[in-house]
Amino acid sequence: MIAFYAVSNAPQTSSGSEPVQQRSIWVRLWRIRHNYLFRVVMQGLLTIWAVTTLTFFMIRQMPGNPLDTKIEEFVTRRGLTYEEAYRAAASLFSFNPDEPIILQYTEYLGKLIQGDLGLSITKSGVSVTSIISHYLPWTLFCIGLALVISFSLGVVLGLAIGYWRGSWFDNLITGFASIISGVPDYIIALLIILVFGVQLQWFKIGQMRGGVDPTIPPGFNMPYILSILQYALLPIMIYVLSSVGSWILAMKSSTLSALGEDYIVVAQARGLSQRRILAGYVGRNAMLPLITRLAISVGFVVGGSIIIEQMFQYPGLGNNLYVAISERDYTTMQGIFLVITSAVVFSNIFADLAIGWLDPRVQLDEENNP
Amino acid sequence: MIGLETVATATGLIIGIICGLVPLGAGIYYKKIRVGIGGFIACMLSGFACNFLGGLPMIALTYSVVLSYAYVNRQDPFTSRMALTEVTFEESRWEQFQRRMANLGNGTRTSIRALVRNKAGFVGFLGLVFFFVVLTFGPLFIKYDGQTHTDRRAPGALALVAPPSAEFPLGLDWKGRDVLSHMVYGGQKLIITSIEAGLIATLIAVAIGSVSGLIGGTVDQLLSGIANLILTIPTFPLLIVLAALVKFDSNFMLAVLFGVLNWPPLMRAVRAQVLSLRERDYVQAAVALDLGIWHIITREVFPNMVSYIAVNFIFTVRIAMYSIVGLVFLGLVPLAEPDWGVMIYTGRQQGVLFLPQAAGMLLSPIIAIALFQLSLVLFSRSLEEIFNPRLRSGL
Repeated sequence: MIAFYAVSNAPQTSSGSEPVQQRSIWVRLWRIRHNYLFRVVMQGLLTIWAVTTLTFFMIRQMPGNPLDTKIEEFVTRRGLTYEEAYRAAASLFSFNPDEPIILQYTEYLGKLIQGDLGLSITKSGVSVTSIISHYLPWTLFCIGLALVISFSLGVVLGLAIGYWRGSWFDNLITGFASIISGVPDYIIALLIILVFGVQLQWFKIGQMRGGVDPTIPPGFNMPYILSILQYALLPIMIYVLSSVGSWILAMKSSTLSALGEDYIVVAQARGLSQRRILAGYVGRNAMLPLITRLAISVGFVVGGSIIIEQMFQYPGLGNNLYVAISERDYTTMQGIFLVITSAVVFSNIFADLAIGWLDPRVQLDEENNP
Repeated sequence: MIGLETVATATGLIIGIICGLVPLGAGIYYKKIRVGIGGFIACMLSGFACNFLGGLPMIALTYSVVLSYAYVNRQDPFTSRMALTEVTFEESRWEQFQRRMANLGNGTRTSIRALVRNKAGFVGFLGLVFFFVVLTFGPLFIKYDGQTHTDRRAPGALALVAPPSAEFPLGLDWKGRDVLSHMVYGGQKLIITSIEAGLIATLIAVAIGSVSGLIGGTVDQLLSGIANLILTIPTFPLLIVLAALVKFDSNFMLAVLFGVLNWPPLMRAVRAQVLSLRERDYVQAAVALDLGIWHIITREVFPNMVSYIAVNFIFTVRIAMYSIVGLVFLGLVPLAEPDWGVMIYTGRQQGVLFLPQAAGMLLSPIIAIALFQLSLVLFSRSLEEIFNPRLRSGL
């Protein structure tokens, strides 16, 4: 960060001695790439590689490998002898557990550089890329929509209770937010299922599994879309309930600190309308610290919420990761870990860039204390 | 850590009473009978609950409180820290010790006042006390009931679960066992594992963070790099992967795993704090006065970080509990009954989630976990006031 601002400010600070030269946009882009973005992206790639390596060796330390789990399944479920089960399982997988782990690793990295995530071990003939591209949209839709709802709700409510602090509305919302933010999401999910599903029978829980009603043929038509929305409703509601509290509280404290600034007093003295002060002066400034958090959350959206997706059997990436872990499907696990890590790394980079762009004070501060 | 699980016993009561004699005696000697009796009761209860583990620290605490009453009311000028350093050389070891204790007692009293003053925090504290009392004293009154009550099955019913009744206040679980006894016996391990996990994460974070901030240079870069690396890993999935390595019933391993994966956020905050505190005037003054690194760390730097670390510790405990129950919920760690998480897991696994009469079995652990987490959140607000030196001096 420091290096970035110091360098990006360099043309401005040195402009006093020599006449300012009009540089083309490409030259500027080149400089930024050279100085900051390039370095940060390189750092990000290094992080992704390190995490990939770490997870590669970590998941191979788990007891049991895909072959063993499958053999066990055959022995217990189908009553085969061990020999038969071994042959049946080995013919299913293109995976040799006796191969030296270093060889597996170099092979994996070599393929990864070419953009090939390999084949799934337990689902024969299916590539990891196709698994991810099949499940990722569900997670992005469900958790992404939930994040948007909970962020906007949190910002609006937090701004309101920060501005009218001390009112009954503030007490109510703050109490609600601190209670709801303290309760784990799966506990909220269970409570909703138990209270509204089982006791009050408002909806049928048994039918709310999966991502869409399987009887409706897929296509871009109303019933299909409605069915998707209907099935996503509960997970979205639970995600919003479990995360909105922390957004509200963060926005409230951010609003309170923004309200103490001089420019608010000036704006009030100028007789600006309350609405304009609230939206243009308080809200915009108070939202800045939340942007970073939002970007980081966006990164973690990709991973979905394992427990919630597993509970509702939602066909998202989180649930698929859970299945892959329990089946010891090494390649799929690695693929999903890779996607999540990349998303987190790049959304972090994006957050840094966005804050530098949105908030001119960040640059000023860095200039004053290098 | 095995010794941390605790149940109230008769020997504990005796230990508590013996421990309580110290503050009681001090109270009589200094003519502060009421405070002495209060100290006696506090010692007795904590000894009753936790044997030596609760009794011995409580002696120090209650004795110091008694002393602080005695010293303050005598208009003793030495309880303030500045005066303490002036007279250190003229008094005997014993007097010095007494003054130290009185000082500690004053601190304890301010802490208690700060705790009571913040209403939300006090409610959270009461919630935690409630859980502590139920989990340690509950076993005195309720025997663990692991047998199946097949005879209680309602005529014609297929499942053994039963709604709450007079005999079983929280109903029967899927195997026809008493839910209440499972609730009383099943929480301690979970809570202690979460606290251990939070403690390990906090210790790692504080150690690495302060080393990183104080030494700086290459060490700092390396440690910060590791922290950033761990921050980008999706923690919960990795915890699932690692939890497969945990052997049956070794909750401490689980706590260690959690700690290893969850120290980076606090570490970065501690590092930033150390870096900024290092430049403050009073720390610079202490350095200029050559007060010694130990004095600077314990007297100047640490008090300013304690409240932040304490609040963060509580939050880490919360996340630890979330993760551990989540792992159990997914059935990914070895299960040992009785346990709140296992109750939810088996409830789901056995399909009783959808039976209306199973509400007692499922709602009890769910509500218990939710309430415990809520108490932690509320309590953390008080903690900030208790440990913040500025807020304290303003009292």
